Amino acid sequence: MYFLNLSLVQFLALFGAISIPTVLLYLLGRSRRKQVVATLRFWVAAQQPVVVERRKRIQQPLSLILQLVGMLLLLLAIAQLRLGTPLAAPRDHVMILDTSAWMAAGIGSATRRVTLMDEARNKARAYLKAVPASDRLMLVRADALATPATSFESDRPKLERAIAQSVPGATALNLDQALAFAQREQALSPYRAGEIVYIGPGRVAAEADSPIATAPKNLRILPVTDSVENYGLRKIAVRRSGSDPDLWDIYASVRNYGTAPKAVTLALTFGGAPAGTRKLAVPPGSDREVTFEYRTRAAGLLEATLLPHDSFPDDDHAVLELPQQPNLNVTVYSDEPDLLRPTITAIPRVHATFRPVTEYRAGTNTGLVILDRFRPPTPPAGNAIWIEPPTETSPVPVRAKLENVSFDHWCSDNALCTGLRTKDLHLASTYVFEAAPDDIRIGQVADGPVIVARAGKYKTVVFGFQPALSDLRYELATPLLFGNILRWMAPELFRLSAAAASSAGMVTMELDADIRPEDVRVLQQDGTSLPFTTHGHTLRFFSGTPGTVRVQAADRETVYSLTLPELWEAKWEVPAGVKQGLPGFRSDTAFSRDLWELLALLGGLGLLAEWLLFGRAEGRMRRLRARLSVLSPRVRKAS
Amino acid sequence: MPGPLLERQFLEKLERLTIHWRKSFNGLVGGHNSSRFAGGGQEFLDHRHFHSGDDLRAVNWRAYLRLEKMFLKMFQVEPRVPVRLLIDTSESMNSEEGFKFTYARQLAAALCYVGLVRLDTITVRPFSARLGEGMHCGGGRHRFSPVMDYLSNLETAGRTDYFEVVRQFISTHPQRGLLIIVSDFLDDTGCERPLQYLADFGHELLLVQVWSEEDRTPPWLGDLDLVDAETDSRLRLQFDEAARASYTSAFDKYAAGLEQLAHRNGGRYVGVSTGMAIEDIIFGSLVRSRVIA
Repeated sequence: MYFLNLSLVQFLALFGAISIPTVLLYLLGRSRRKQVVATLRFWVAAQQPVVVERRKRIQQPLSLILQLVGMLLLLLAIAQLRLGTPLAAPRDHVMILDTSAWMAAGIGSATRRVTLMDEARNKARAYLKAVPASDRLMLVRADALATPATSFESDRPKLERAIAQSVPGATALNLDQALAFAQREQALSPYRAGEIVYIGPGRVAAEADSPIATAPKNLRILPVTDSVENYGLRKIAVRRSGSDPDLWDIYASVRNYGTAPKAVTLALTFGGAPAGTRKLAVPPGSDREVTFEYRTRAAGLLEATLLPHDSFPDDDHAVLELPQQPNLNVTVYSDEPDLLRPTITAIPRVHATFRPVTEYRAGTNTGLVILDRFRPPTPPAGNAIWIEPPTETSPVPVRAKLENVSFDHWCSDNALCTGLRTKDLHLASTYVFEAAPDDIRIGQVADGPVIVARAGKYKTVVFGFQPALSDLRYELATPLLFGNILRWMAPELFRLSAAAASSAGMVTMELDADIRPEDVRVLQQDGTSLPFTTHGHTLRFFSGTPGTVRVQAADRETVYSLTLPELWEAKWEVPAGVKQGLPGFRSDTAFSRDLWELLALLGGLGLLAEWLLFGRAEGRMRRLRARLSVLSPRVRKAS
Repeated sequence: MPGPLLERQFLEKLERLTIHWRKSFNGLVGGHNSSRFAGGGQEFLDHRHFHSGDDLRAVNWRAYLRLEKMFLKMFQVEPRVPVRLLIDTSESMNSEEGFKFTYARQLAAALCYVGLVRLDTITVRPFSARLGEGMHCGGGRHRFSPVMDYLSNLETAGRTDYFEVVRQFISTHPQRGLLIIVSDFLDDTGCERPLQYLADFGHELLLVQVWSEEDRTPPWLGDLDLVDAETDSRLRLQFDEAARASYTSAFDKYAAGLEQLAHRNGGRYVGVSTGMAIEDIIFGSLVRSRVIA
């Protein structure tokens, strides 16, 4: 007989705390009560008063005893008093089933090939059969995260289904977290803690700091034997070449997890066509990096395959999506196209078309329109650069027309003016605009702005003078200014794209020094934001499932194709003393009986009897006893 | 500040009621209960022999011509009868933290209003050991507000002495009339004999006994140290269910004695528990006993 919830000291302290107020209330309830009444005549007339001179003994001791016994029994029920030995009580076990990516590795012969996951499921089912029927069990699927598949359950078919539905994930095992989770769940459970069972090969993400110290005492290992002879892709990354925008630099990393050197072939295909092949000799337990170059302007899928395949094929193949090279169509309406041709055509990824002003058609052009000193019948429906527009059709009102003025300064607080330093310019003739408060004054003379940018549905930049006919023609500021304007109007044109294939789980990325944390966005495939942290110039985010994640930082974008499985880094050494193999549980649970139902019933009956005998129903009971006393002589007489 | 004793809606319900009495009283015309005493009414009542000094206008001359004897015609009158209301203000009325006294005042106020509506003249006098200074009112419902104020300002004090109260009452109110006593009738020296004196003097008694539930059925059990609210006498006893039944029986016997006394003298008795609503008492017990109708 033992307490499940409370120790004996706790129980006695609790019973004392409850019984003392009960006794005090009992004595208070039976103490003499002073009462003011309207008259004493009926009290005297009702009966001869029985004056209690001294109250040396407890009145109605049976009432007090019944109350105390009733509360004692209820308290024993709360303490879950059990009949039997503590070892025979039902327990709560936690089964940690390894569902890391490595569990998809195959073992066995080629004719009867099974995965580590199949083996782990079989061991889990065997453990389930070995556990006594009264014990409860929680199934926890463990990879980088510990995810409970069931609560503490005694429903065996439900646990069987949960085991059958467990499949390998995409991340490596974090065993410490899973063990801590299991211990916490057992501590929160009102039942007695049973075993924590780990089923798996023990391949963990990284070397634990002190796995032996953190191993719980009730840990049991059901090991799954694996073969480490595996090699695979660790990472693939592509980015546009800095020198040639049509050229992709491709980087691949291959790791040999096994114990023998391997000679493998890494083959690249783009859109099904071969893109490169490289033979590699990878020493055991080390990585090999290799780089490729591939020229294409088209978008498509770049696939990397390691040959020959091994027992774990998931990391032998990776796919990357190469984005399309963005282009910008610029239509220049000018009767003197040679003025702007050198400046516009020098910008990469810009396709410029020069047309006379008589061929102007509003709304037929996509991209950017440059209107050089003419009045279009209808304004363009899109982004436009107006150069010295006529006064009456200028998108920004003209304040005045000036001649022989000196250029004063460039704006300093906007990206449109980045790098513009040219001074001492002389303008033979220019318009001065009446800029709105929200307009960006790019360049100004003493009397006002002469180059104005206006944001809105369509972005517009207005020049008060033709730069190719002014002193600006010979300055570096001219191509720089047009470059800034195009970057402002079509930022995607200048976005630096990169792509990488890596494993799901924790992803770390180094940001450029000029990137501010507030400019960073991490988006999942469906466009929703993914939480991330930045520490210095290091960005970290976690993705537990394979997929595509886009990291946008200012004008740079990196597409992560998290399709490679995250594999183990180390083998967890089982500490000495940890139990292994299937357990032999005692089968004497029949001797462990719950008594709380009976105790609660008896306690309730005791309190009910006290209430009936001494409580509100006392008068009724007295009348009943009186009737019985009337009946009993008759009964005796009849007998 | 406590609210008014009676709500306006309840007073409106009382307006159709009238206080009735059974005895015939002498008095001037103007009341609403017929009397066996002759007076200056319109309805013929009887003949009697003419005596010297009688009003010659009431002589039945036709009978004189036929019988050569003078008979006087008497007419029925509905006299104005004084209504007196005595309200107990002794300490024993302070049960249930004063609720019994409030209840008695509400009852008295309701009866006063009924009388005022029917243009009765009512004298309200509190009493405990002595008869207190009262309030005389009459003349219609618009005179009710001072009565309500007067009753609201009453407070309990002292012990009850029915002998002294009755003696003072008889000496100050020689004219017979309806006497309503709202009290718990708890006087250690007994109130039966003084009440009998009042009846013998010719007053019609309407005894309204007010009790709280703890007066009739004390809720306490066990060892009790009892203190009389009026005399501060103490009594220690053990009280159980059997004693409680005996107590209640003695109380009921006392109330039955009061009722018998009232009926024996042509009066009426109404026992009122504070657990009942005032409205139920007015339109229930008092109407059934024909105190008001």
